[in-house]
Amino acid sequence: MTIQNSQAKKAVIRVQRFNPDVDRKPYLAEYEIAITADTTLLDALENIKSDLDGSLTFRRSCRHAICGSCAMSVNGVNTLVCNRRVEAFLDRKGRVTIRPLPYLPIIKDLVVDRTSFWEQYLRVKPWLIPPPSYDDSQPIDGEFHVSPEEVAALQSAETCIMCGACYSACQVVAMNKKYIGPHALLKAFLRVMDPRDSAPAERLAIVGGDDGVFRCHTIFNCIDACPKGLNPTQAIETMRKLAQKRLAFEAARVERQKSL
Amino acid sequence: MSYITGITHNEAITHDVLIIGAGLAGSWAAMAASKQGVGNIGVLSKLHPLRSHSGAAQGGIAAALNNVRPVAGTGPSGPLEAVSPGDEPPDSWELHMFDTIKGSDWLGDQDAIEIMVKEAPEIIYEYERMGCVFSRLSDGRIAQRRFGGHSVPRANYAADFTGHVLLHTIHEQALKQGVTFYSEWYCLDLILEDNICRGIVALDIVTGTLHLMRAKAVLFATGGYGRAWKITSNATANTGDGVAVAYNAGVPLMDMEFVQFHPTGLYGKGILMSEACRGEGGYLLNSAGERFMERYAADKMELAPRDLVSRSEQREINEGRGVGPDKEGVFLDLRHLGAERIMERLPQVHELARDFLGVDIITDPVAIQPTAHYSMGGIPADANCQVIADAAGTPVTGFYAAGECACISVHGANRLGTNSLLDASLFGRRAGLAIAEFVQNGAPLPPVSGDPVARSQARLSRYTAGVSGKPAESVSKIANALKETMTKNVGVFRDGERLEIAARDVKVLQERYTRAQIMDKGSRFNTDLLAAVETENLLTFSEVIVASALARTESRGAHYRTDYARRDDAQWLKHTLAHKNDDDGPRLDYKGVTIFYDRYPPEERKY
Repeated sequence: MTIQNSQAKKAVIRVQRFNPDVDRKPYLAEYEIAITADTTLLDALENIKSDLDGSLTFRRSCRHAICGSCAMSVNGVNTLVCNRRVEAFLDRKGRVTIRPLPYLPIIKDLVVDRTSFWEQYLRVKPWLIPPPSYDDSQPIDGEFHVSPEEVAALQSAETCIMCGACYSACQVVAMNKKYIGPHALLKAFLRVMDPRDSAPAERLAIVGGDDGVFRCHTIFNCIDACPKGLNPTQAIETMRKLAQKRLAFEAARVERQKSL
Repeated sequence: MSYITGITHNEAITHDVLIIGAGLAGSWAAMAASKQGVGNIGVLSKLHPLRSHSGAAQGGIAAALNNVRPVAGTGPSGPLEAVSPGDEPPDSWELHMFDTIKGSDWLGDQDAIEIMVKEAPEIIYEYERMGCVFSRLSDGRIAQRRFGGHSVPRANYAADFTGHVLLHTIHEQALKQGVTFYSEWYCLDLILEDNICRGIVALDIVTGTLHLMRAKAVLFATGGYGRAWKITSNATANTGDGVAVAYNAGVPLMDMEFVQFHPTGLYGKGILMSEACRGEGGYLLNSAGERFMERYAADKMELAPRDLVSRSEQREINEGRGVGPDKEGVFLDLRHLGAERIMERLPQVHELARDFLGVDIITDPVAIQPTAHYSMGGIPADANCQVIADAAGTPVTGFYAAGECACISVHGANRLGTNSLLDASLFGRRAGLAIAEFVQNGAPLPPVSGDPVARSQARLSRYTAGVSGKPAESVSKIANALKETMTKNVGVFRDGERLEIAARDVKVLQERYTRAQIMDKGSRFNTDLLAAVETENLLTFSEVIVASALARTESRGAHYRTDYARRDDAQWLKHTLAHKNDDDGPRLDYKGVTIFYDRYPPEERKY
């Protein structure tokens, strides 16, 4: 319980401000606030908004790294601000710099326009396509059987919170807005690997096209940026291999589904 | 100058169905109605739908699947084993029903509870077939764990991020159905005339434009409202907008005095440490290292229901056996579970303790405290989610409610863990089906009279106009003062004196609020303005909570009064209905509880 006992001290929070209705270009504003060792970056932004400048604008909701609202760039690194403590980011002069996620249009201050992010997400058909034997109109009795090993494979993708930290850290996204992006490719991987999904070949065709897995330059920015410790690059690598033999993969899926 | 530009008075947006809120309840309703053939559905969320608070639920979703049972003779936290085909089923909907009724302290409506527990397995199977990645047994069936107040293990789970997995699954399926999502749109007003719902007024947050949105049916699925307390597990968005908007439009609110305090919020933060911590076998310890639940629930220990465990913790704290710098916490000890089980079953909880308190739960106990968590009360609705206008059950035509903002009263005075994901999903689906039937039976698009958009605009403009001759008040200071008084006076333990203080405080804050000013004068993505409206909503429903709690002179479930420590069935086996009454606080009315006296008659609640 050492954290709460620590002394308050001053920190300078430098925040990029930009309201396109009144500002010609983005600028950095400085706010001095008191912090303790357990003050999070989000706490700091909330304090500035309630006490110093109510017009400071940012997104947030759950406060504990599960909703994905508050991804931003802190000292040049994409992260969530809700579960990171200010102290860990202060330089020798006691300053930290918070900017919106890069490579995305700014709506206002730290709020970015994620339209392209969600369009790419939709492109991979993020929903499961169940086996043909599953008839939507009938009442359901019983469950498919999925092994713990298959679940473990899916878990490396299912905990993605769609915060956008990976997407906006990706150099390929920066250069080419048609690239599907690590978040949507990870979602595609979740569906491709799921024994209950009946369209792995169609999915591999989508991600195996010009804007998909072969466009990835394997720079690993997405891995560094992911606040949930996920590995989109590895998922992309796996799908590259599977894309080459997608019809055989789908045939194996049909076999697997006989014992679901 | 006005906040809102580009008002489109003559360009109402029209849908067959409008759903406010895109968490589990709202998204299920949209999907179910769409599958019934309703094509024109609009879903509003003040966040992006995937940011909804349903996604923060951790431990599990209840249903009697009969996949596991406790190993015979190993006690309340002993090991579990898979049930083989042909074995005697350890669980049943009847047992789930009894646990839920007992947990509710007999205030739950038993007809609605029966529907919920009977349909529960089907909802889990449907989630499973839509791609939900549940944790599994070695034979591939869905794994189950123990939860407080449930007499057998029936919590179906995905590690400790169950809500996240359910929310993403249902959102994907609603997208597949082609539902229209209005992301970052905010509902300001519900248009009701002659007891017929006609639509809403909404703010497009990004542009600051106000819109009249008309529909044949409107569903509120706006979630909970724990943000009226200082220590809460709730997301910042959980400001009770739906209940306040409905109440302002003339709909009563039911059982608002029943607010659940979850026993294991992270110390000083309120962020949830899942009840799965105790379901997996975690202990609670006081400053003397005693496993104090022995004193309060010798049989169930840490797996007693939330109201009881929260009171037990608060008693230890009040009697000086608390931990932490201000002695306001107790310890949650998980060390004996071992690193492997913690990382497999409770990875998120491990991360939270590390990130927020710097504690590794594998090697150290972590300080926790009761945290405002779930609101049993809300907009009164029947088991088809049809909102009612009074104690006689008069329906509000075209208006529906589901999820935490609704009070279908399946939780009564206290909700059992894992029953909320079930409630939101199942009644969300029922709402979707009921609404589809209503629309397809030829419901008309009701006309809107007057200028509701102008009324909303006037309300918002007040925040910049100023009140002449009086000093401006800060919205955040008013919100903080409200949270102080609600925490101090309307918490785990209550009494008449403290509730009176809270009632006076809320009145004073409402008066101060008439002079509230905001700093952001622009129309684009004005979160300062949103916070002002949200704070007004907090003040609105808090007044109802305090008045309802003050009137109920008994202790039942989560409503515990030290000056009336007994449950009083003779006087209080009834639901509170609070009607807006412009002169002087809410007008309280009461409604009977549906009880099957032959099957589940009221009895003393012991664990």
